[in-house]
Amino acid sequence: MSEEMDDMAGNQGDTYELDELLGAYALDAVDADEKRRVEDYLEVNPRASAEVQAHREVATMLAFTGMDAPDDLWGRIAGEIGEMAPPPGPELAKVMSMDDHPRRRRIATVAPWLMSAAAAAVVIFVAIGLADRADAPNQPMASAFEIARADRDSVSTTLVSEASTASAEAVIDQDGHGFVAARDLPTLPDDQTYQLWGVVDDGQVISLGILGPNPEIETFTVEGAVSALAITIERAPGVIADGNPDGAFVGAF
Amino acid sequence: MPRTDDVRREYTDASDAALVVSIGRYQQAALAEAYRRHAGATFGLAKRLLNDHARAEEVVQEVFVRLWNEPSRYDPERGTLRSFLLAHTHGRSVDLIRADVARRTREEKEARQQADGGYDIAHEVWDLALAGHVRDAMETLQQGEREAIELAYFGGLTYKEAADQLGEPEGTVKSRIRSGLKKLRIELQQVGVSVGTD
Repeated sequence: MSEEMDDMAGNQGDTYELDELLGAYALDAVDADEKRRVEDYLEVNPRASAEVQAHREVATMLAFTGMDAPDDLWGRIAGEIGEMAPPPGPELAKVMSMDDHPRRRRIATVAPWLMSAAAAAVVIFVAIGLADRADAPNQPMASAFEIARADRDSVSTTLVSEASTASAEAVIDQDGHGFVAARDLPTLPDDQTYQLWGVVDDGQVISLGILGPNPEIETFTVEGAVSALAITIERAPGVIADGNPDGAFVGAF
Repeated sequence: MPRTDDVRREYTDASDAALVVSIGRYQQAALAEAYRRHAGATFGLAKRLLNDHARAEEVVQEVFVRLWNEPSRYDPERGTLRSFLLAHTHGRSVDLIRADVARRTREEKEARQQADGGYDIAHEVWDLALAGHVRDAMETLQQGEREAIELAYFGGLTYKEAADQLGEPEGTVKSRIRSGLKKLRIELQQVGVSVGTD
């Protein structure tokens, strides 16, 4: 019993010491060893994590100078990212790595579900930029959708959810231009949005776009192999990765 | 600054979270808008810490390129984009300060400035204040709290180094930084200054 009391007292002492470090940690004013200890503590203590964020927000106010950045600095940044990034089309989603994302557990709840839906799918290969459907954007969306669906080289799927009787239809043509007809999905509150995801050839789940709370027929673009699509319900304005699996509509090609 | 036509009109009213979602979709105009909003603050902080224009530019460039490459590191639920960018700017600047070469360079420059212009860190801090509210809030702190925060945040010192410089126990300085930040937050909230995630 006394050992347990000693442990409790020791833990409380450690907690007190770590709490006292939070301000200094938020200002990068701790040494490397203390930094590691605090970060371990933050992993398991949301209150402490929130306190650090609050301290950083205060520091943000102190840091404001009203100063302008040098005139030529943006040009250098734009040049650097221009050299690094591929030249994507305006609708091309950026592939978010699942391996280095800090919140893996949430991804793990999404990815296996999508992957299982995709498991029996026929994998399609689409190539962006090989052909340009210059006429499509000028047509009414519904007509463009029907043309794509009637094309024998296109692939299509119905996205369904276990939580709803509604469904959405998606078509991807041979050039990687996609359409999703989601007008039957229930309208969401203004603080929520539908978001479209795809499972690409290496198993990664990528965001293909934000559909809004009341989507009609929306377009997207894909690159490479796509084996399944999903529409999730997210808090507006959407998320970068880590989609919400609850109530998701899924369809495999 | 980004040219006007670099910043699409659709992004000028977008939230920070929406900007970062667009950055994640390779929308350079979204990054340009984030830069337009926050580059001044990040550059100002880096320059204040490093006391070196060129190195401050390098840090700002690194911070925005990192945002471009790893937008998912920003979680809107955990704070503002400005806070996120400034935290990275501060951390990177402090890394450089703590490198021996950078420290020597800075100390030499500071020594020259003190000789030439009567450099005073407290005056520098006042110059950096966002507005009168922030300055007023700083004035409500006890002197020991104010000095500890200034040395840690703007001086790039660890709390142990700050304690050594102030001739105070390390535990005292550590506690003063924390209590001072808490008081600042309360003071700013009381005068209606929005502090991040409130």
